[in-house]
Amino acid sequence: MTPTLRKTVIGVLGLGLLVFSGLSFRRSRSLKEPVVIGPGVTRVVRLGDYFEGVRGSTNDAHIYVLEGSEPGGTILVLGGTHPEEPAGRLAAWIMAEQAVVRAGRVFVVLSANRSAATATRLGGAYPPGFAIQTPWGEQAFRTGDRWSNPLDQWPDPEVYIHYPSRQELAYVDIRNLNRTWPGRPDGTLTERTCHAFIELIRREKVDILIDLHEAELQYPVISAIVAHQKGQDLAAMASMMISAEDGFAMGVEYSPLALHGLSHREVGDHTDAISLLLEAPEPFLDATRGRTDADLLLTGRDPFVVRAGRHGLLFEKIDEKGWPIDVRVGRHTSAILRILEVWSGDAPDRAVVIEGLPGYDEVIAKGVGAYLRDPSAADPKSVYFE
Amino acid sequence: MIVTVLYYLITAAVAALLVANIVKSRKWQDEVLYVIVLIPFLLRLLRLK
Amino acid sequence: MSAEASAAVVLAVMAAAYAAAKLFKLSTELALFAAALAGALAGGAGIPARHIAEGAFTYFDIILIFVTATLFMNFLKESGGVAFVVRAVIGRFHRRKAILFILFAFLLLVPGALTGAGSVTVLVAGGMVATVLGYMGLPRPRVAAIIFLIAGLSAAAPPVSLWAMLTAAGVNMPYVGFFLPLLVPCVLLALVTIFWLGRKAGPVDLALALRELPEPPAGMNGMRIALPFLLFLGLVAAGRIWPFDFPILGLPLIFVAAAGLTLVLSPVRLPVLAVARRTVEQLLPLIGTLTCAGILVQVMTLTGVRGLIAITVVTLPVIAVYLTLFVTLPVSEAVLMWGAAPVLGVPLVLLFNTINLNPVVALAGMSVIWPLGDAVPPTAIIGRLTADTVGMKEPYGRFLLECLGPALLIAAAGTLMVVFSKKLAFLAVF
Repeated sequence: MTPTLRKTVIGVLGLGLLVFSGLSFRRSRSLKEPVVIGPGVTRVVRLGDYFEGVRGSTNDAHIYVLEGSEPGGTILVLGGTHPEEPAGRLAAWIMAEQAVVRAGRVFVVLSANRSAATATRLGGAYPPGFAIQTPWGEQAFRTGDRWSNPLDQWPDPEVYIHYPSRQELAYVDIRNLNRTWPGRPDGTLTERTCHAFIELIRREKVDILIDLHEAELQYPVISAIVAHQKGQDLAAMASMMISAEDGFAMGVEYSPLALHGLSHREVGDHTDAISLLLEAPEPFLDATRGRTDADLLLTGRDPFVVRAGRHGLLFEKIDEKGWPIDVRVGRHTSAILRILEVWSGDAPDRAVVIEGLPGYDEVIAKGVGAYLRDPSAADPKSVYFE
Repeated sequence: MIVTVLYYLITAAVAALLVANIVKSRKWQDEVLYVIVLIPFLLRLLRLK
Repeated sequence: MSAEASAAVVLAVMAAAYAAAKLFKLSTELALFAAALAGALAGGAGIPARHIAEGAFTYFDIILIFVTATLFMNFLKESGGVAFVVRAVIGRFHRRKAILFILFAFLLLVPGALTGAGSVTVLVAGGMVATVLGYMGLPRPRVAAIIFLIAGLSAAAPPVSLWAMLTAAGVNMPYVGFFLPLLVPCVLLALVTIFWLGRKAGPVDLALALRELPEPPAGMNGMRIALPFLLFLGLVAAGRIWPFDFPILGLPLIFVAAAGLTLVLSPVRLPVLAVARRTVEQLLPLIGTLTCAGILVQVMTLTGVRGLIAITVVTLPVIAVYLTLFVTLPVSEAVLMWGAAPVLGVPLVLLFNTINLNPVVALAGMSVIWPLGDAVPPTAIIGRLTADTVGMKEPYGRFLLECLGPALLIAAAGTLMVVFSKKLAFLAVF
């Protein structure tokens, strides 16, 4: 073979790899995830309406506003802070599509860090997306990552110094939306995104922020409400009600004072809002997980993680049934409902009363897909894309 | 913003050097390796990854 | 087939493909790539273009650091700067071995400590130190061992220790309290290493050295060399001191700036394009290894092999975990490099946490051991880089043999830090 022919052959093979992988990356980055707004959504605004610094950017998220006919308080629910934790996004999704607010106001975000939703983790072998079965067919979602896409924020520093605490964190965490609170107006995209949410919280006089997450079972803070000290009683009461009424355990963890950049610390410190963060178990994130695919993401079934559990290495139980997505989403929706119930009882003038949001038993019985609306059958004006 | 543009320029420069070395190389193994190394550079330049 | 069995089969196929590739005289980098492809096929994923490309991206930012740092160093060498510095140092300290050794230990510790990459130490300071140690009568494999081992310690040293940072991030622990637990062992072990391996060094033969060393070009002076380094340190420091007012430059751009200044200050005109092309050629084995190792990690994760390895290690009896740290950590580093932190570091720290050890000190102890793996095949990335930089012609095994003594000491020190982490918790203050 002549050198020219050889180089051409090698080049063409490389080009093939480039084209196939490039198409796949492009497809998932440009995938449109439909949201059919439910009867409770009174208006849809954007994050950029609260801070110009994110307007028109990848992170100019939709904010679905549900307003009740009776006055009351205001809560902000964040899904997709870490898009690779899908139960958080899906719980927010069915809230936007199903919930109706009687009293007070609810602001729901499905892609708090939309940039992170367009990437998958290097070395993580994440599937590009996953599909939820619904009565009308499948709805496709992106898997997403923990960190903002480098296409939206590049380069990273060699060490990330958190604003304003100056705490040093791993360099990648400058793209972690749950390490950049309270953010700053002239910072990176991720920092500006946090700043925009802080502006929203202040301007809309948000009483409670609920940040929806999932965690690996080997992580000590799991199946818990992580509460800022302002929200400790609220979280404790909600936790007790969940155990008593909903039939699953959800502990309370107190937000460490010295751990900076997280929503449960900084939102409570820098605004009048109470900040709470909910964690559900996601075996897909465990370092000991086996084969990595969309099935694991949705079923939470993994024999290696089960083995880690048998050796006492986990902070949440797991068996062959795994942690199906319906259970994880149901934990989030029920926890939100209980938190609001306790809150509305304690502060009647700032009450937030929601109807139509399915709780734990209902989500498990019918599946998450039962609560997703069919975009092809909906009025196009009520369909938004994440 | 300017810094990001500079990073794309650095990426383009290294990619160009990789291509130049492929052209110059005489060993097929080196050529294959250059092509593998080149892929992330091109994906970033094309803003695909 | 159970998940364990199927992952074990994939692992076996990968190992066989690697061995076969080596048998057919493929380079280490291509053998890693072949192992990844075989693993993907055996795991039923076909040729997963997306995963290959994503894996190839894993160390992209580190590759940019390698390329730009080496470019800076090569410009400095071409301009005669390296020869100038070496002549100045030996002219001044040629009779004072102890001072030279302490000076070298710190010279080698600083670049890696600031950047988190031992490779930067090797590239920035390794060449100069190696030349002087050579004139002190030390054989090249021993010189390479000194530089490699201290470069590894420099990577683990604070403020930036990527293993500790990535693992801490993986368990959502703040990167706080690591300064002393990392600094104390790294400085002590670096000094022990250079005095131990350098014990047979004699005074520099000044006349011979000055005769053999290339003459720097006329007009070269200390300022022309110091300024690019000052620019580098200044830009890194500015990002630390004023993190909220100074733009995020990132190490590659800072190295490019330093390289640019070197070019401007060089007393002779440098063949920029030729040097740049040679730099990329010189680095191909390293950046190729990083790229292919990234692909391998991705395929291992995809097929469950990564999980099999992690679960096997963390379910060993605790005593066995302690006693095998000196093997498991370097080996994971040798295959995965920084990928070892999420794969092995995270489950290990969580394991140590559940048995009530101090996670900060334990992780610091592990971070001291990890870089030893950078000399171990298949990747042997920093080891090969050091051998290259030193200009070692001897077989690679001789270099490994020279490393052995101090490496065992480093591994023992790291393991003891893990075991007695609770007693050492007083170190974890800031």
